[in-house]
Amino acid sequence: MVASGYGAARRWAVVAVLAGVLLALPSVVGALPASDADVPAPQLRADALASADVAFSGYAESAGGLTLPVGDRLSRLSDLVSDRTLMRVWDAGPDRRRVDVLAAGGETGYHADGAGGWVWEYEDARATRTAPSPLSLPTPPDLLPTSLGRRLLSEAADEELSRIGARRVAGRDALGLRLVPWAPAAAVERVDVWVDAASGLPLQVQVFGAADVPALDTRYLDLELGSPDPAVTSFVPPPGARVALDRERDLLEQADRRIARVPLPAELAGLPRRTIEGAPAAVGLYGRGVTLLAAVPVAGRLARDVAGTLRASPEAVDDGRGLRVAAGPLGLLVLDPPGEGAWLVAGTVTLDALAAAAAALPPPAEEG
Amino acid sequence: MIAVELHKLFRRPRTWTTIAVLNALPLLVAVLLQLTDLAPRPGEGPPFLSAVLTNGTLFPLAALAIVLPLFLPIAVAVVAGDSVAGEAQAGTLRYLLARPAGRTRLLVAKLVSVFAFVLVTVVVVAAVGYVVGTTLFEAQPIAGTSVSGSTLTPEELTGRTVLAIGYVTVSMLGVAAFALFFSTFTDSPLGATLGALAVLVTSSLLFTLDAASPIAPYLPTRYWLAFVDLFRDPILWRDVVRGLALQGVYVGVLLTAAWANFTTKDITS
Repeated sequence: MVASGYGAARRWAVVAVLAGVLLALPSVVGALPASDADVPAPQLRADALASADVAFSGYAESAGGLTLPVGDRLSRLSDLVSDRTLMRVWDAGPDRRRVDVLAAGGETGYHADGAGGWVWEYEDARATRTAPSPLSLPTPPDLLPTSLGRRLLSEAADEELSRIGARRVAGRDALGLRLVPWAPAAAVERVDVWVDAASGLPLQVQVFGAADVPALDTRYLDLELGSPDPAVTSFVPPPGARVALDRERDLLEQADRRIARVPLPAELAGLPRRTIEGAPAAVGLYGRGVTLLAAVPVAGRLARDVAGTLRASPEAVDDGRGLRVAAGPLGLLVLDPPGEGAWLVAGTVTLDALAAAAAALPPPAEEG
Repeated sequence: MIAVELHKLFRRPRTWTTIAVLNALPLLVAVLLQLTDLAPRPGEGPPFLSAVLTNGTLFPLAALAIVLPLFLPIAVAVVAGDSVAGEAQAGTLRYLLARPAGRTRLLVAKLVSVFAFVLVTVVVVAAVGYVVGTTLFEAQPIAGTSVSGSTLTPEELTGRTVLAIGYVTVSMLGVAAFALFFSTFTDSPLGATLGALAVLVTSSLLFTLDAASPIAPYLPTRYWLAFVDLFRDPILWRDVVRGLALQGVYVGVLLTAAWANFTTKDITS
């Protein structure tokens, strides 16, 4: 027996109500208001910096919109700032931490212990033992909101900070902290850090260049406070895995010996020189906080190789003051005067600041 | 009525032909791997395929991963699309409804038989995969390395494989629900099948677009491959739970809509 018109309408109304409730549920949950607290910006920064020992587990997503014109040579770095990266984290402090970078059919695990760490790459069935390194290329764990937030806030002056309300991140109340760098050379317009009201852990970090959309947006999607099980953070290479030793520290020491030293100015593009223990002395590091600059003497052949990649970018500027490209707030410059040596300059500074830095650099030395 | 529908479905030669064809692709892959010894690297190709050369007991998972993106959904859509529309096209639907059982009970019976087909198909693919894997490749004791690099005990690996089979089955219920829903709207089984497949192709396409990322969590195919998360250590339940919930929502809404339509439409054939 076919239902009457009234019966049909009633049945379809059941469908509509069911679909409507299910569709509205995520929006209702997402619209839960965040509870703000009257915490001054310097105090919130201090809370974030003091959270390094807060143990937690979580699930994070980092999304970058930067297309680095570095070719295949640094494809991992390029992918890191241009792609979406999903990470699982178990953090019991700097000496016991595990970060898994998830792929659809694989995983790369970073296990930190007191003496260094292990990197497990499922795709290559390889476990690599790493030693602590004073200077290294960024890896996915560096993009976690907790790591990145504390790093970016660590050198901020109180005058650069302000409060920006509150929002819900990872289902928790997060207090907003805005960092606007004062350095005239800065290419980063602002950094918004959302700090967990209860623990001080940075839950979300958004880095903005000139554009309205963040150049980098990293956030926790889930977070649970409490010390993770030691069995989860420890790592022993599985049977059948290839075990390797990371040579990064050796390469740094080798670079320190091989790169010819030239006297570097005390200031570049208005940024004072700084030192990092263990970094090759020939590399000039400048600036503080989110406005940083590195000047690296390189062989002419390498410089021409990098310049070829940079020239392929439609944004490349080559006006005799050095070949320059900006990728969001990141700037790259190749200065390749006649001779064997050249300069590679990179940092979170404007293209004009890069040109000013290039003009102040001494002639590069021949490769040693 | 449920017993009648199950009996009809599993007595049809084309049901078993569909299941047999579905197993042909993993079998072909296994034979090629055995002959060439060229497995994809871990993380490349279908999940777990890289490991089967050294441990054939993992081939059931690789077989499921091989058929999951395309062949399994096609088979499910064909059977579910045929469930009501096939009766209408053959002119038998009005006779079925002449029985006092009623339309709701007929729909439930069709639903249960489609769900039974999905379960049987997934279990057969896994079982054939196990036989093929242990026959053609070196069969280690059922243990292995998790995606996270830890060692899984035989009990852990067996338990997780059973969970993966269950998860893939539930993932296919969403496909079945789409096809059954379309099947109540048309007298053409082909139309119902193509309708369900169109939804899946659209979903798979949108999932690859950054511009569609706001709706990605709601796409029916979004969490299909989350069964890999069952082999991380510890198990990453996040996407598995979301996948189950999403399939539950699709199945609930679509079957309610199928019921609303089927119980109120005019049956003329």
